[in-house]
Amino acid sequence: MKLIIRDDAESASEYVARYIIKRINDFAPTPERLFILGLPTGSSPEKIYKYLVEAYKNDDISFANVVTFNMDEYVDLAEDHPESYHSFMYKHFFAHVNVKPENVHLLNGNAPDLLVECAEYERKIREAGGIELFLGGIGPDGHIAFNEPGSSLRSRTRVATLAEDTIRANSRFFDNDISQVPRQALSVGVGTVMDAREVVLIVTGHNKAVALQKVVEGSVSQMWTASCLQMHENAVIACDDAATDEMLVKNVRYFKSIERVEVEQIERKGRATVAAISEDSRSNQWRGALKKLQVDTNGANKKTHKAENGELTPDSMHGRLVDSAIAMDDIEKMEDGMKLTNMGSRVNTIEM
Amino acid sequence: MAPRLTKFTNGLLLQDDRLIAGDLWISSDSGKIISPQSAFYGSGSTPDLVLDLKGKIVSPGFIEAQLNGYSGLDFAKQDPNFEQRFRAVRKGLIKAGVTSFTPTMTSSLPEVYHTNLPYLGRTQARTASEGAECLGAHVEGPFLNPERNGIHTKEVLQKAKVWDDIERCYGTDNFRHIRYITAAPELGNMVDLIPEFVARDIIYSTGHSDATFEQAQDAARAGATMVTHMFNAMRPFGHRDPGIFGLLGQQPSRPTTPTQSPQQSSPTTSPTIRSASNKPPVTPPQQFSLPRRALSNSSTRTPTPRSSIDSTRRRSSPRSSLSISTSITSVPDATPEPPFFGLISDGIHLSPPTLKIAYSAHPTGTILITDAMPLTGLPDGVYPWTDGENIIKHGSRLTLEKNGRIAGSAASLLECVNNFIEWTGCGVAEGLRAVTQTPARMLREEGKGRLGVGCDADLCVLELDEDGKLVLRQVWKFGECVHAT
Repeated sequence: MKLIIRDDAESASEYVARYIIKRINDFAPTPERLFILGLPTGSSPEKIYKYLVEAYKNDDISFANVVTFNMDEYVDLAEDHPESYHSFMYKHFFAHVNVKPENVHLLNGNAPDLLVECAEYERKIREAGGIELFLGGIGPDGHIAFNEPGSSLRSRTRVATLAEDTIRANSRFFDNDISQVPRQALSVGVGTVMDAREVVLIVTGHNKAVALQKVVEGSVSQMWTASCLQMHENAVIACDDAATDEMLVKNVRYFKSIERVEVEQIERKGRATVAAISEDSRSNQWRGALKKLQVDTNGANKKTHKAENGELTPDSMHGRLVDSAIAMDDIEKMEDGMKLTNMGSRVNTIEM
Repeated sequence: MAPRLTKFTNGLLLQDDRLIAGDLWISSDSGKIISPQSAFYGSGSTPDLVLDLKGKIVSPGFIEAQLNGYSGLDFAKQDPNFEQRFRAVRKGLIKAGVTSFTPTMTSSLPEVYHTNLPYLGRTQARTASEGAECLGAHVEGPFLNPERNGIHTKEVLQKAKVWDDIERCYGTDNFRHIRYITAAPELGNMVDLIPEFVARDIIYSTGHSDATFEQAQDAARAGATMVTHMFNAMRPFGHRDPGIFGLLGQQPSRPTTPTQSPQQSSPTTSPTIRSASNKPPVTPPQQFSLPRRALSNSSTRTPTPRSSIDSTRRRSSPRSSLSISTSITSVPDATPEPPFFGLISDGIHLSPPTLKIAYSAHPTGTILITDAMPLTGLPDGVYPWTDGENIIKHGSRLTLEKNGRIAGSAASLLECVNNFIEWTGCGVAEGLRAVTQTPARMLREEGKGRLGVGCDADLCVLELDEDGKLVLRQVWKFGECVHAT
């Protein structure tokens, strides 16, 4: 998995937001080919939603052809309860953007038959074509969604009983009264998340440090269910320095160096192409050109990249981004007018 | 076809005592304010119309609690075209921002009540195009004190001894049309009859009365929850005889800290002497010794709700400086909450400092009313009043031709709000609350007066002009726009 480390939670969140925007725009969803997005709730993703809403208001992104599937919802909590995940998602996201109500999916914790509800949810995901990008966080006990320690790593959407740790952590939203926190929740399984074509996690804060260490440096374990992402082909974790507190210094340095090396590579190649471009056209065209770019989702370029970059770039995702500055060998394939956009997209990703 | 779901965005919404930036969603199907979240997840609805208010203020529609007539129609006069003219009144009134009102009938003969009350009952249909909603009649009289009649004709005033007197006056079938009554509690057996009104869900308001503070307290304890146009047509405030106004100075019924009873404040006994003497605890009256004899009347017995001073005699001369008419101890379970009270802030009935003092005494009970006369909405001039007398209209000022007494006013409720804000410095939110949330609470009207989910979508969109005065821009009733400037 790829670790993107930023100084603080704000910049890590901004990175993820920009990344999602880029992915959706590159995908260029249409009513016939919708972008399926998996979404979490919680204080870490809250900042990401803020950036996404801002970007929508600035016309940088449209959610008209985006389908959303949320990870979880409390059982037996009224939908309009201020702490329900329905309320969270509406308040922070759906109320401010143009996602269509019929494209929004959340588990219904008050369904008459919870097992049927879970099975239906899995079916809807399948029918939509599977999740393109699943955004998530991890709990202090390393759980992904509500897959508490001990959950099967092949689990599907089901009724989950919350661990005491989680209940305690969530009580801050229920007037610090533990008795008010629901005991059960419907949640996508570890397997459901793993099925997504890409998983992006946001992990910030010192209280996540132990969990992050186990998930990144530890082995794949049912006790730290997010560690299953080590087996995922396209997993990214964006975190802040505080969350890396329990990791080995050498590993933190290592992940930071990967990004640095990429930047150097880009600069080297970029200098050659920049010289050929005029000043005026660059600023005018980069954003518009960005939208014309295609994303190669079938990963045809993956193999060529692995051969070239080897261990320095363990993540194959950049290879799917045809325009990415990192995928330098694709420059020749692009039209002339697009060369300058590499600079723009590079500046976009690096300056987070 | 009117839009069904309207979303107001970028507005300043009135919430209790402040203006909060936010969005508001209303439905013209249900006529109510809806939760956008429920609409989103439930019916998957998106708004049919999005209005960018650009910072304008959204307030619940105004509720007028005292209006004697409009556009020439007097609610207390029989008229062959009453029903039709009343419908026209409702259409005209809403353009002033009044979305709900209690039409007031000044003192009349029983036959007038029997004829008119059926027309003044609560509006049943929820049709926005009909205009302002009638919430039931306010019968101001005829059980008023002739000494404090204002411009009510003395000849029709009467006293009630038994409930039958009330029934004969208004008509047994007409009680369902009455929302609230103004009556003088000190006359006849009115205090004993107050619970009968309350039991029929009719709000009792003290007004046109010469009640002393004690009499007003008795009425409050019997169930009176409102005071009609405070200061006007009542005994003036006196510093040892606060009258009805004294109700605003009461302590809340359950104080959070215990009140001191007289024996602890006695200067002659000291704690050390008491404890050293080894005596068993003595009951307060025996231990208590007052420095002055005049106070002994109310302190040598255990405190009771009623004052011991003779409360029925009107005092003609000032008492000795140490005797006070109010009980000096307050008993937690016997003192009622301060009542709601109406204030006419037209600049004619009350001076600005009076408004400020009354408001400060009980901000959450302040209700602004116009007490506007039927001549409101008509051009200036001289108009006939009852029994051959005339009223002169000059702008919003009305006077009785024969003695120059104030004969109500022709001001608009918004004018009163602007005056009130200017003279009390209470701020826009509090000024608007006094014509929305507070009258709704007084009338126990659950679905009005607030911008809450499930409340009726009766709204006023206002903005502040360069002089800081509120100007009405739009009026919405049951989720539909019925007036816009």
